[in-house]
Amino acid sequence: MSRLSLVAVILMGRVASLWGLAAQAPDLPAGDMQAKARKACLECHESRIILQQRLTKATWGKEVDKMIKWGALVDAKDGNALIDYLSTNFPADKAPEPAARVPGPKKK
Amino acid sequence: MISRRDFLKDASWALATAGMVHPSLSWGADQSAAPAVTGKQGMILRSFRFLDLEMPTEFMNTWITPVPHFFVRNHMFEPSTLDAGEWRLRVSGEVEKPLSLSLTDLRKIESHSVINTLECAGNGRGFQSPHVPGIQWQRGAVGNARFRGPRLGDLLRRAGVKPAGKYVMFHGLDEVPGKVPPFIRSIPVEKAMDSDSLIATSMNGAPLTRHHGFPARALVPGWIGAASCKWLSEIKVLDQEFEGNFMKPGYRMPDKPIEPGGSANPDATHPITGLSVKSVIAGPKDGTTLKHAAVEIHGAAWAGEADVTKVEISTDSGVTWTRAQLGTEHAHYAWRLWSYWWKPSERADYLIMSRASDSQGRMQPTTAVWNPSGYLYNAIDQVKVHVQA
Repeated sequence: MSRLSLVAVILMGRVASLWGLAAQAPDLPAGDMQAKARKACLECHESRIILQQRLTKATWGKEVDKMIKWGALVDAKDGNALIDYLSTNFPADKAPEPAARVPGPKKK
Repeated sequence: MISRRDFLKDASWALATAGMVHPSLSWGADQSAAPAVTGKQGMILRSFRFLDLEMPTEFMNTWITPVPHFFVRNHMFEPSTLDAGEWRLRVSGEVEKPLSLSLTDLRKIESHSVINTLECAGNGRGFQSPHVPGIQWQRGAVGNARFRGPRLGDLLRRAGVKPAGKYVMFHGLDEVPGKVPPFIRSIPVEKAMDSDSLIATSMNGAPLTRHHGFPARALVPGWIGAASCKWLSEIKVLDQEFEGNFMKPGYRMPDKPIEPGGSANPDATHPITGLSVKSVIAGPKDGTTLKHAAVEIHGAAWAGEADVTKVEISTDSGVTWTRAQLGTEHAHYAWRLWSYWWKPSERADYLIMSRASDSQGRMQPTTAVWNPSGYLYNAIDQVKVHVQA
């Protein structure tokens, strides 16, 4: 593969991934912790996995602890605020998140 | 500067997105925002990264589930680069003669076919109450397919398992994000030597697709999907059970029932092996309004290593039960399709329920055993319908 086409593949990948993710995955909810939640969670996951959870604050706490152990970037001073943000936006008693469908097959 | 790893990720993105079409060009009015996924059609998108796709129950109407509708459960990135020519499967550990096999080598070994219902241990997690964390699967993290490949036991016999070898560990080529532990699990050597345990290289008559573990995966029939490691690269015979994250605390059930919403002491848990007895109603769908006419209630039932012996239907909220007709197609480890023709007596709201029983004397319970990860949900399935004029 020529250097030019190699660069093209890289650029295509980066543009496609940024465009694709921006177009496809809903954002995390607005709030003071939105940016830090994006940094903590979306480095590995996309938002759908967060949006579908319905958990108590205690269970969110355990999940955040586990994810920090697995490499999520959360400053120690932000831990409680992140748990508050997640448990406020995705509490146990909230209605389920509707799920999207990947395209196809075509209807007859 | 782009690291090699970043480059591989981007290259894989570029390849992945080659089959991806912008939503505004490809989505019908009935499909909310979701990307196309190569080789998959109409699936419920639980997560795109990492890829987790659920089969809608409308596709639970064929005994063999077509690959485009077969669920996908990934814990991490799929391999970004995998050259089938370079790929090797190593067999090592407590063996007399370690092996390193190419795909060509594998294809020279006598192959066998097993029709197996593969179900994610977390299927139905979304119905658990209180809610538990994880992919919120409902009914469709399950499918039935014909897998083919050499027997795992034949490979182990070639390598010669030493007397100390008690467990067989699988390691795949999943790419680990952050500090997440690698996806490594083990099964007892007795199950590995079972004549139906395979190193599967094909699914429904075609080579495994990337999402299903190309070029080879373990196939541990009747057991939870996590036992059947994808993108297999290493089989290691151990003198004890592997103790990584996906064996402990992952994929374990409490030894004794715990208070719903409580937590389990990992030392009072055991690894999940075989699937539970379970039936699912594929149609009519929950919340449907039906005409006042005969309607077919239908679905599938499975029982892991056991055989489904009957499926019963109730159309009066569980007061009375009638046997459904089981489909003629059956095989050990494979689900049974079932159906029941029902003529509603009057225009009203109905709660339709299904419950399966199996050859081990198990019956679907009214309430599934709650556990902190929502594994093995198998409560009697139910859908509400409204019958109108």
